[in-house]
Amino acid sequence: MSARVLVVDDEAQILRALRTSLRGAGYDVETAETAEGALAALAANPPDAVVLDLVLPDGSGTAVCRELRTWSSAPVIVLSVVGDEAEKVAALDAGADDYVTKPFGVDELLARLRAALRRADAPAEPVVEVGELRIDLEKRAVSVGGEPVQLTPHEFALLRVLARDPGKLLTHTMLLREVWGRGYGDESHYLHVYVSQLRRKLEPDPARPRFILTEPGAGYRLASP
Amino acid sequence: MKTGVVRAAACAAALAVVSGAIELLKGHVPVLSLAVLYLLAIIPVAIAWGSVYAVAVAVGSMLVFNFFFVPPLYTFTIADNRNWFALLVFVITAVVVSELASRSRRRAEEAEAALRALRKLTEERERLAGEALEAEALRRSDALKTALLRAVSHDLRSPLTAILASADALASPGLRLEADDRRGLAETIRCEATRLDRVVEQLLDLSRLEAGAAEPHRELWHVDELVGQALAGLGAEAGRVRLDIGSETLPVEVDAAQVERVLANLLENALRYSPPGSQVLLRSEPGATELRIHVIDSGAGLPEAQREALFQPFRRGAAGHGSGLGLAIARGFAEANGGRLWAQDDPGGGHLVLTLPFAERRLAVNA
Repeated sequence: MSARVLVVDDEAQILRALRTSLRGAGYDVETAETAEGALAALAANPPDAVVLDLVLPDGSGTAVCRELRTWSSAPVIVLSVVGDEAEKVAALDAGADDYVTKPFGVDELLARLRAALRRADAPAEPVVEVGELRIDLEKRAVSVGGEPVQLTPHEFALLRVLARDPGKLLTHTMLLREVWGRGYGDESHYLHVYVSQLRRKLEPDPARPRFILTEPGAGYRLASP
Repeated sequence: MKTGVVRAAACAAALAVVSGAIELLKGHVPVLSLAVLYLLAIIPVAIAWGSVYAVAVAVGSMLVFNFFFVPPLYTFTIADNRNWFALLVFVITAVVVSELASRSRRRAEEAEAALRALRKLTEERERLAGEALEAEALRRSDALKTALLRAVSHDLRSPLTAILASADALASPGLRLEADDRRGLAETIRCEATRLDRVVEQLLDLSRLEAGAAEPHRELWHVDELVGQALAGLGAEAGRVRLDIGSETLPVEVDAAQVERVLANLLENALRYSPPGSQVLLRSEPGATELRIHVIDSGAGLPEAQREALFQPFRRGAAGHGSGLGLAIARGFAEANGGRLWAQDDPGGGHLVLTLPFAERRLAVNA
């Protein structure tokens, strides 16, 4: 049975293009044009994934996402626009799994959707491998190309949070709270500097990272295995 | 009229005061030598009000002195030659002092008048200069708008034309297209739409900068992360960029999205103006308080006279593609983040230098 996707956007042309592309890719597609319509469709027939525009005529996608998260863990991919980074981050913090920025390519959206659906099914692995990088979460051991790498406790804690859900975008706030604790939600500059340190230990070319990827203005993710 | 009365009264008062003083002193000093004290009344009057009042005070002094102090007392007898001589000295003093005073007063007035004229002239010139400046600013902003409209209509229309033509070809039932043709047309639409998006983004950046709305959100970043984000946005062309970044530099304190835009624009510019397939070098070099980032291409470079013009909106080099906004935006964002951006002399090719301030705050979290 193919996965069911609810697409929420108030632009008829965008809706039409997405419906055509997603059906072409083998998904069952439902659509809604308002926040209220989206919540009704979600409750009536819970989908496997949601593609959600952040700006809707009767409310924000973020509110829809927050509401959905009270009873469902279906992956949500939000559609954002340049210049509205704050709303995008709010949606991610409210439980959205990923985002694409308008105007986006359908290939990119499909890739994000596939990855999100795969993650939703995948059991947590004690050993994560991304290319040459190997992270053993139980033994707390990290190696690149078979060579063990020494990490400080904070560096390992940061890598562990990313590795628990490879491919998942984690916002600055999520990472800071997981690694440094509740009081550090706003101090994202710590994070940038530690990510740089971590990359220098792991990445062959830190300015062209392959393992720890930056999502500008939003957060970081470990590359998908 | 009123001033005349006031001055006459003041003169009489001065006479009375000096006479009183003489009355008090005459027991101690020979009275005839005290006549000289009347000069104390005559000189100030001469300086302040001129010779008419001064001569009157001089004659008055003479009469009062004669009447009250020169024997025989309480009579006007100017029999003594010494009295005539005193009167003469008083009158000459009055005339000479008042002449000197009035001359210096005139000179002061002339100087003041000249000063007033000069001030007025300066004000006039400042006003004119201000108006000229305003007119120049208006003219420039008009010129800017004209250039903007021209650039916008060109940069928006040419991709739109390609998109429309491709879409028409795809939609036309009368055309027999091979699968490869369809793919090619679709690819054109995709490419040109991406180009349009880039132009719109640049226009938004520019208008944000012009409106002073580009308030940076400054955080600590290592340069390799900023460069990495810029490279990620360049696509396949990023392979032509060679990096020489010191690994142990201090973090800089900047808005990552804005600096990423600066770096991306510098790299795009360098890639555009250097021969196809050639490499562009990005080198970072720590200074005392700032990080210097050099972007060096192997293009033709620019003579010194044309270098500043690079950073004006809508100027583009000989190769002539791109909207000509990239470097203007780059400088705007660089300066908004406390940095600088300039073109450096380099016989090897184009050479742009960006500085970014090192972070002042230290990390409080231990590793």
